[in-house]
Amino acid sequence: MPGPLPAAATAPATAPATAGGFAAPRRFGRVNWRGLWTLYQRAFLRYLKFAVEGIVGPMISAALFLAVFVLALPQGRSSLGGVEPLVFLVPGIGAYQGFHAAFENAAFPIVYDKLEGMMSDVLMAPLRPWEVVIAYVGAAALAGMTTGAVILGLISLIVPLPLADLGTVLVFAALGSLLFALVGFLTGLWAEKWDRYALVETFLVMPLGILSGTFFTLDAVPAAGREAMLLNPVFYGIDGLRAGFIGSAQASPGTGAALLAGLCLVLFLVAWRLFASGYKVRA
Amino acid sequence: MATTESDLGAARRRPLAGAALQPRRSHPGPRNLGRVNWRGLWTLYLREVKRFLNVFTQTILAPMVTSLLFLAIFTLALGRGNIKFGDVPYAVFLAPGLIMMQIIQQAFANTSSSILISKVQGNIVDVLMPPLSHFELALGFAAGGVTRGLSVALAAGIAMAIFLPIGIHDPLAVVWFAVNASLMLALLGMIGGIWAEKFDHIAAITNFVIMPLSFLSGTFYSIKRLPDGWNLVAHLDPFFYLIDGFRYGFLGHHDGNLAVGAVAVAGLNVALWLVVQRMFATGYKLKP
Repeated sequence: MPGPLPAAATAPATAPATAGGFAAPRRFGRVNWRGLWTLYQRAFLRYLKFAVEGIVGPMISAALFLAVFVLALPQGRSSLGGVEPLVFLVPGIGAYQGFHAAFENAAFPIVYDKLEGMMSDVLMAPLRPWEVVIAYVGAAALAGMTTGAVILGLISLIVPLPLADLGTVLVFAALGSLLFALVGFLTGLWAEKWDRYALVETFLVMPLGILSGTFFTLDAVPAAGREAMLLNPVFYGIDGLRAGFIGSAQASPGTGAALLAGLCLVLFLVAWRLFASGYKVRA
Repeated sequence: MATTESDLGAARRRPLAGAALQPRRSHPGPRNLGRVNWRGLWTLYLREVKRFLNVFTQTILAPMVTSLLFLAIFTLALGRGNIKFGDVPYAVFLAPGLIMMQIIQQAFANTSSSILISKVQGNIVDVLMPPLSHFELALGFAAGGVTRGLSVALAAGIAMAIFLPIGIHDPLAVVWFAVNASLMLALLGMIGGIWAEKFDHIAAITNFVIMPLSFLSGTFYSIKRLPDGWNLVAHLDPFFYLIDGFRYGFLGHHDGNLAVGAVAVAGLNVALWLVVQRMFATGYKLKP
């Protein structure tokens, strides 16, 4: 493809192909694939640039949680959810750390771009709002899955994990990461300062993530809490992902997947409309 | 004070002599400072406190929520079947440990972030230039960190007391170990903040030293559960004495020797204090 001038690329897609001796504006079809791919790549490369820091922190906290549970578990307790306690805990901890990374990698770049004034680069580019949402959210979800996979891979060197169904694992990892990435995207839009980002992280993401059966089974919770847990979408993400490893779920994986997919769709529509309206990104 | 006399100290005394020679001043003279620059010290302290109160959702509420979440997940995951530690339910055993864990993390975060951010942004000179001695600098920063540690402890303690029957067995032990823990971590935070050149450095100390020690020093389990070799290691860990002594203050039950712990943490604090004061005096990584 002839290298078009950056300015020409911002012209409407329907502009005439040639004009005098000037380079023709780039034409693209219904989807600006190259632009989408570029933004997606930028977002994911940003994650890779800090991948070591991004993985070491969650890795240490996962290891600490496991060590503490092993030491504090009552002796003689030999099963949790039908399997060895460690085998039950590891997928949950890996899932939570991955989901959290997806949230972080969606919210952080947006707040940063807004504060540093770089958001205009994205707004100026010939990308439709839904393309921007997909690029940010897709890259963040992949970042979350990568973090989760590395953590689970490293832990499984010490704690041998069964793998009942890789497909289930991948489906729930993708849906859960996508959900958290969308929440992260919305948080990024809403946050004008880091305070608000921290607010959502502390009071929504962490409680929802930690109280979703990462560490305990459904029947360990009193009846009222059990109903609350069944209303928490994150529970289905963690339960489904764990089922992919240990082979048994506490809730129906089909229902869980459908619920998560539906919620992702709703949040995507909200994110798309908000970004299209310029909510807190356009002056 | 005489041993840490420096140009700064000398400059502080000169105005005194000048003021004595000139009883009638036609223009405003330099301020008189006594042995301690109380107003300067108070100003530094207030800055340190307002710094964290300004974002209290992150500095007070977030640690409070975290400790409640930990209490919830550990009680739900382990407390079923009414396991007991000594003669108390697991949740009651856990609560003092979780409060101490937040003291440890928050007091360290307060001083380390304050000094490091000032260094990175270049406004550390605003602290080094005023007529404050090394002792006053150390005291101002440390008192800020101690205030953060105790505020978090109070918030987390009140929140937990809503859900759990927490009684106080020995108030003196509670106060002694809470204050010494806050001070120890505030001083460590200052050493870390002065040593670090980038945020990565502080993140590394937090991730590799402070977090693991605050998790593994008996917060969640009785040290007796450790294998024999590790039991000895635990008794060399100052955080173990902080947690054990603090827990004794609430429950009246302890694993280690209380007197040894009480003296050891205070002694370590004196040593750390001298290191911090020395760092301010020599300007290690603070002055070009």
